[in-house]
Amino acid sequence: MKRIRQISVFIENRPGRLLEVVELLGSKGINLKALSLADSSDFGIARLITNNTDEAVRILKESGFTVSVTNTLACLIEDKPGSLARILRLLANENINVEYMYGFASPIAGRAVMVFKLSDLEKAQEMFNKNGVELLSQEEIREI
Amino acid sequence: MIYADEIETMPREALEALQLKRLKNTLERVYNLVDFYRKKLDEAGVKPDDVKSLDDLKRLPFTTKQDLRDNYPFGLFTLPLEQVVRVHASSGTTGKPTVVGYSRRDIDIWSELMARSFAAAGVTKGDIIQNAYGYGLFTGGLGAHYGGEKLGATVIPISGGNTKKQIMIMKDLGSTVLTATPSYTLYLAEVIRDMGIEKDELRLRVGILGAEPWSEEMRKMIEEKLGIDAIDIYGLSEILGPGVAIECREAKHGLHIWEDAFIPEIIDPDTGEVLEDGEEGELVITTIQKDAMPLIRYRTRDITRIIREPCVCGRTHRRIERIKGRSDDMLIIRGVNIFPSQIESLLMETEGVEPHYQLIVDRVNNLDTLEVKVEVSEKIFSDEIKHLQNLQRQIEKDIKDLFGISVKVTLAEPKSLQRFEGKAKRVIDKRKL
Repeated sequence: MKRIRQISVFIENRPGRLLEVVELLGSKGINLKALSLADSSDFGIARLITNNTDEAVRILKESGFTVSVTNTLACLIEDKPGSLARILRLLANENINVEYMYGFASPIAGRAVMVFKLSDLEKAQEMFNKNGVELLSQEEIREI
Repeated sequence: MIYADEIETMPREALEALQLKRLKNTLERVYNLVDFYRKKLDEAGVKPDDVKSLDDLKRLPFTTKQDLRDNYPFGLFTLPLEQVVRVHASSGTTGKPTVVGYSRRDIDIWSELMARSFAAAGVTKGDIIQNAYGYGLFTGGLGAHYGGEKLGATVIPISGGNTKKQIMIMKDLGSTVLTATPSYTLYLAEVIRDMGIEKDELRLRVGILGAEPWSEEMRKMIEEKLGIDAIDIYGLSEILGPGVAIECREAKHGLHIWEDAFIPEIIDPDTGEVLEDGEEGELVITTIQKDAMPLIRYRTRDITRIIREPCVCGRTHRRIERIKGRSDDMLIIRGVNIFPSQIESLLMETEGVEPHYQLIVDRVNNLDTLEVKVEVSEKIFSDEIKHLQNLQRQIEKDIKDLFGISVKVTLAEPKSLQRFEGKAKRVIDKRKL
């Protein structure tokens, strides 16, 4: 199962609050692999993928943050026009809804990583496998 | 258990006769001993002798908080200081504090009323009372302390604050009764959970909570979190301190006001007209057992109603309903009257909201605004914005449905709102700044 465990943190929209999260994790030797920030007018949710999920969750909770862990899929895609569209089409064909997604460039030459929260993870994974879409495991993310 | 059976279950007729006798004595004393009352009664054209029935009480003038301030510090005392053994004072957040004095007999009566209150809540001399009301000028600490001792229970005079030590003592000494404000009790429950202590490791079984208005929903939450019976107690320093009225454990509905020591009335706060039992208005209390500083028709500013119906516990003293709020705490937002306790009830019924909240009132472009800050609990935290926004919208809609005004709901991080060791201050009114 190539699930990526993503950490979500509730943060109030005020200057320096995201910095506190990032600094806290940095000071405890947690490496951030990906980060995306979703926000409304007065609060936000920081979504993080780190090299050590359990430890990061423990550290954040200890400091009083509200945290949850969500399963996501991380697809490795070609860094060229049209490759994301291909993935999204596969999902649409299977009637799988994208709840949110974010991407980051990877150090693997010519490739990017897209992280997906999907309505049906199981089905999506099966479908990606069938169509030769490469998924990263938690270990592989840790290595990059 | 009924502590003073004869007096607590006295037939109403006898009780009212006792009230009249004591009222007349009190009036006689204040008229002869206190300039303020003599002047006021003369102005109203009433002599103590004119009071021939309890119904005549309504002919007497009111006493207000301002009168206490005007006569600061000892102007309303009926006794020389040689006979006054203690003073307490209100917090005085808005100006001079108000000072109250007690004779030796006042302290004894207070202790007795407080012992009765403990007993009504189901406390016995075998109990260990952890008294987390503040000791000092505030009447809560010493009032509960003397009452607990009078009952014969073991009192731990720990006062408020120092929360972790408080919990260690609660666990190690096996405290069975907690006396504290409801807001501090909630905070204690939160820290108990954070320390990883399960409620069955504690022997706590009763909480006697008061000194601030709270809601029925808050009671349920406290009872569930700590596994205790939470009992509402009422008092105010001007009148006595804690032990003016308390719920009985049997009914947990309405607080028996000790009528052999106090005469309660409900008035229309605008006209001063006395209302029938059952109607909501401002509670007015006349003390009929106090020596050092009796008060005649003191306007408490607390909003409630009197319940006349007999109670299952057998006590004949009438009950007052859980205080809705103090009239000074009432918020007027765009012409709508709102008590913080009403918003509290609504929040406590909302799934996933922690029992900590703050109300921020402001005036923007000549329009009152109300912001309700609530903490989001881990239970309902979702990593999707829309779920949290739905929660915000739901609370905004509930408030709109209830009061007809639009408010802004802001979600706050857990434990980010202030916690209280004594009386909670949950309203920030920027309009007054």
